[in-house]
Amino acid sequence: MNFLLDIYNYRIIAEYLPLFYEGLCTTLKISFVSLLASLAIGTIFACLRLSTNPILWRLAASYIQAIRATPLLVQIYIIYFALPELPILDRRLNEIEGGILALSLNAGAYMCEIIRAGIQSVSKGQVEGAMSVGMTYIQRMRHVVLPQAFARVIPPLLGQTAILVKDSSLVSFIGVFELFSAGVTVMAERLIPTEAFVTVALVYLVIYLVLLSTSNYAQRRLAGAGSGVI
Amino acid sequence: MSETILFTFPLLLKGLWWTFKISLWSIALGSLLGFIVGVIRTSRLKILNATLGIYIHCLRGTPFLIQLYLIYFVLPATEVEWLKFEALPAAVIALSLYTSTYVAEIVRASIEAVPKGQVEAARALGMSKWQTLWHVILPQAVKLMIPPMAGVYVIVIKGTSVVSVIGITELVRAGEQAALRYPNELITLYGLVALLYFIYCYPVLRLGRWAEAKFGRIEVSL
Repeated sequence: MNFLLDIYNYRIIAEYLPLFYEGLCTTLKISFVSLLASLAIGTIFACLRLSTNPILWRLAASYIQAIRATPLLVQIYIIYFALPELPILDRRLNEIEGGILALSLNAGAYMCEIIRAGIQSVSKGQVEGAMSVGMTYIQRMRHVVLPQAFARVIPPLLGQTAILVKDSSLVSFIGVFELFSAGVTVMAERLIPTEAFVTVALVYLVIYLVLLSTSNYAQRRLAGAGSGVI
Repeated sequence: MSETILFTFPLLLKGLWWTFKISLWSIALGSLLGFIVGVIRTSRLKILNATLGIYIHCLRGTPFLIQLYLIYFVLPATEVEWLKFEALPAAVIALSLYTSTYVAEIVRASIEAVPKGQVEAARALGMSKWQTLWHVILPQAVKLMIPPMAGVYVIVIKGTSVVSVIGITELVRAGEQAALRYPNELITLYGLVALLYFIYCYPVLRLGRWAEAKFGRIEVSL
């Protein structure tokens, strides 16, 4: 076992396990809240983007372009450091709130594109068919469009969730103590880069693999359900 | 505000120049590596194929920030002389590896999107595997690669912002330095940084959209 200790000193990691656990919890918490918020933002902006009102869809389109063409790190800096200069809130956002806000706005733009593609992938004939049997807009959406769109949207949404979890490592830049910061702390205290960062990488990898297998499972299940309908 | 812009703009432009250089190097090296990996992935070399699959998933499954740290901090700790990188090579290597996984998946998906009948026809005419790949598959596949490739290049350009953490003065770090001098003008400064990224990335995104309309799209999970 000694040769393993030379390469990867798991005893030190065992000692720091509570720290990694705390970081992991924060990472998961931030990712989960951002996921819910970004889904809400994504759905709203997808509806705006598909609207025929030029003001509404241009607004949504420029939001998406602005997010997609700038790095998340800059978005985090703007929201956390620069936003307090504007007199919008009467207090500063703390680093977790700022991080969640930036992550949600960032992921929301990508979620929006996924949801929009899902809605548009439902063929026009289906909508026309539903119209011809006298369904209202709400009924068409609820019984015809959304169930089919949902099946197609789940795998890419899970993929985007995996990206969101990875991206959440960037909030360590504004001082949030999450999984990556736990690695940095261990590195700083014990000067063991291998153990510190390989451990963190492995934890991220496990989260990714869980999401990937869920996505594959959903794809198999929903592809059957979806193709039956069409 | 105008004074801030006037005084910090040269610094930010210098940062943009580094962002430009790093991203182009990474795109070039990463595309080359990704192209090779992607072509191998469509072949029937099972063990190599599975190994490259693991390579792709490992890089896809971890944040770029971690990959950068692994290359910049962990590899030198192995005490192997040629694995001790300066900040700049470390950044380019990390970004290239990161790019290569995306490019590999795009190349594979594009090659697989070419109808099988064409390969069979080419083989029936007596073309070798390489001739089929070079004269029949790739000319068609390359067109399909352009739209998703533009998306990846934007991801890489944005990814360069993270290398500021190992002390390379690219655009974000230039912005941070400017922020130290003008701590009350953060909206202007970071807004300017965002604008410069936008000016660099937006044409690439548009190019992707244009290519998608012209050549059609393929499904690649990014």
